[in-house]
Amino acid sequence: MTTQLILDTFAIFFLIAGLFFMLVGAIGVVRLPDVYHRLHAASKCSTLGMMGLLLAASLHVGTGDVIAKSIAVVLFLFVSNPVGSHMLAKAAHRDKAPQWENTLSDELAKDKAQANVGEAKAETKKKSKTRAA
Amino acid sequence: MLDALPTILIAASDTAHAVADSATEPARSLMYTPLMLLTRLGVGVLVLGVLLCLWRMIKGPHLADRVLAGDTMAMLVAGLVVVLAIKYDSSLYYDAALVVSILGFASTVAFAQYIGASRKFADDPAQASADGKGQTGEEGAA
Repeated sequence: MTTQLILDTFAIFFLIAGLFFMLVGAIGVVRLPDVYHRLHAASKCSTLGMMGLLLAASLHVGTGDVIAKSIAVVLFLFVSNPVGSHMLAKAAHRDKAPQWENTLSDELAKDKAQANVGEAKAETKKKSKTRAA
Repeated sequence: MLDALPTILIAASDTAHAVADSATEPARSLMYTPLMLLTRLGVGVLVLGVLLCLWRMIKGPHLADRVLAGDTMAMLVAGLVVVLAIKYDSSLYYDAALVVSILGFASTVAFAQYIGASRKFADDPAQASADGKGQTGEEGAA
C-alpha cells in the first residue's frame, strides 16, 4: 500500500512533467516564427513529453510487460525522432523554406555556395586543360 | 413478466453489486484519485495540443510546416493513448502507442523525401522545363 502510494506520487510528478512538455511543444509549433524554429520545439518537446508519460505509466501500472513496452517505445523514439527532424529540416532547406528575418547566419547555404564555386573552378580548370591539350 | 420487472430492475441497479465489486477491486493508494483527475486533465491538454497542431497544419505557409504539424500530432496521439492506459490500468494500449509513433515516423520520412525530391527536379532546369511541357500537354489533352 505504502509502496503504491510512493509510486503513484512519482507517477503524478512525471505525468505533470510530460503533459507540460507536450503542451509546450504544441504551443511552440503554433507560435514560433519559421519552419526550423518549429522543428526545434516539436522534436525536443515531443521526445521529453512522451518519456515523461511513459515513465508515469510504468510507475503506476508497474508490471513487466508494461515496462518492457515503455522501454521499447522510448528507445524507438530516441532513434527515430532526431532522424525524422533532421530529414525534414534538410528537405525544407533544400526546398528553400523562408527563414525568420532575424536569423543570424545560414551556414549550410554558405557551404553549398562554396562547394558550387569549387566545382565551377574545377570545371574551368578541366576546360582550360583540354583546350591547352 | 411484469411481476418479475421490479426484481430485474433491482438486480440491474448499481447498488446491488457494490459489495461484490469492492471485494474484487484491488487496494488503491491515497494518490489514486488525484492521478485519475490528472488523467482527465491530461486528455484535455493533449486534445488542446492536437487542435493547436491542426491549426498549424491548416495555416502552415510551407509544406514542411504541415508535415511537422502532422508529426507532432502523431506524438500527441501516442501520448493520449498512454494517458488512457494509465486511466484504464491496461497494458494493451502500449502496443497502440508504439504503432502510432512508428506510423508518425514513417510518414515524416516519406514526406521529407517527397519535399526534397520535388526540389531536386526543380533545381535541374532541363528537367523543370520538361515537367512544365508535360503538364501543359496534359492540360491540353484534358
